[in-house]
Amino acid sequence: MNPLPKHVRQRWRYLAVELESWPNTAIDRRAFQRELWFAAQNLLGDVGSSRVDLTVEQFTFEDGQGNAIVRTRRGATADARAVLACLADVADEPVGVRVSGVSGTVRACEEKYLGSRPEATEHSDVAFAGADRSAVVRNGRVDVRIDEGFVGATQRDLE
Amino acid sequence: MYEAVHARPDGESTVSRLASTAAEYGFAGIVIRNHGDALPDYDRASIADTYGIDVVSGVEVRAEDRSRASGFVGNHRESKTIVAVHGGDLDMNRFAVEQPAVDVLAHPMAGDGDVDHVVVKTAAENSVHIEWSLREVLRAEGGQRVSALRDLTKLRDLIQEYDAPYVVSADPRTHLQLRAPRDLAGLGEALDCSESWIESGLAAWGTLTTRNRERTSEHFVEPGVRREASDDR
Repeated sequence: MNPLPKHVRQRWRYLAVELESWPNTAIDRRAFQRELWFAAQNLLGDVGSSRVDLTVEQFTFEDGQGNAIVRTRRGATADARAVLACLADVADEPVGVRVSGVSGTVRACEEKYLGSRPEATEHSDVAFAGADRSAVVRNGRVDVRIDEGFVGATQRDLE
Repeated sequence: MYEAVHARPDGESTVSRLASTAAEYGFAGIVIRNHGDALPDYDRASIADTYGIDVVSGVEVRAEDRSRASGFVGNHRESKTIVAVHGGDLDMNRFAVEQPAVDVLAHPMAGDGDVDHVVVKTAAENSVHIEWSLREVLRAEGGQRVSALRDLTKLRDLIQEYDAPYVVSADPRTHLQLRAPRDLAGLGEALDCSESWIESGLAAWGTLTTRNRERTSEHFVEPGVRREASDDR
C-alpha cells in the first residue's frame, strides 16, 4: 500500500508515563500493553478504545520503577489520561501511574519528559517501626519489607 | 489542589511518603484523613517544610451509631483541621449532614449507602461537603464499578441541583494509588463531567482548610468579625 499523503495521515500524541510499584515487581512491555487495552475497554468500551488507540512505544521497568511512552490519537489525550489513571494493577501488582507530559513526537517526548537517568537503587537494612528490616532505598524514598508486603516510607521515617 | 489520603496504619504508606509523591504529582496539599482508631504519628510542619506541600491534619470518624459518632466529632473538632464522617449507611449519612461541626461526609454511596434530595439539601444548609469519591472507579472492576459509576452520576446530579458543597478525592491508601490532578481531570471528562468539576472538587479541600484554620486562629470572633492587632494606638 502506498503511504498516505502527509495531510491525511493520522496525527499522534505521545504521552510520557512514569511508573512505580513495589521493588519486587517485574512488569514487561507485553503485560503493560495488555493491561492498557483492558483498561481502555473497561472504561470506554469498544468504540472509545478504538478512538484512543493506545500503543506502548517504549517501555522500561526495573526495581519497581520505570517509564513508558504511550501513543494515542491527537484529540484523545484526555481519554488516554483517564485510561492510564484507571490502571490500578499490572500483572496483579499495584502500580502508580502518572502522565508527566504530552508531545507530538517520540523524540520530543523523550528529551523533554524522560530525560533523567534512573535513580540508583540500594538494598539495605533499616530500622523502621521498632525493628530492623530489609528495605530498598531510592533517592530518599524507602520501601520497607514487612511480613509479606511492603510499606512506603521515606528517609525521615527511619529511626 | 488537595488530595485526602489514608496513611499508615490505615494504609500502607507513611505520611511523608504520601507527601513526597503528592508534591511530585503537583498537589498543593494533602489532608491526612485516617480513621479515628488508626491515627498516624507525624510531624506536620517539618514534613510540609521538607517536601514543599501543605499537610493538613484530619480525621475520618467511623462509628456504629449517632451518639458515639457525635462524641467522636466533638473530641476531634478542636485538634483536627478537617473532620470527616465515614459515610456509607443511610443513618450515618443523615447524621453527618445535620452537623455543622462536620466538614466532609466521606464516600456516602459506599456499600449500601445512598443519598436523597433531603440529605443533599441539608448538607448545603450546614455547609457539609459531600465527597465525590473516585476510589471505585479507579480501583474496582466489573459490576461493582458499574454501580459506583451509577451512584456517582446520581450524586452529581443532586449536588448540582441543590448547589451543595462537595469535594473530590481518589481516596488513596498508598502512594501508588495517588493520581495526578490532570489525570483525574481526564477521568472526569470520560465520565461526562467537565474538567472544572474535578478541579473545583479537589480545590475545595484547600478552601475548607483555609476556612477552618482561619476559624481557629486567635483573630477570629465569628464569621465576618475579626479582632485586629492594635499597635497603632
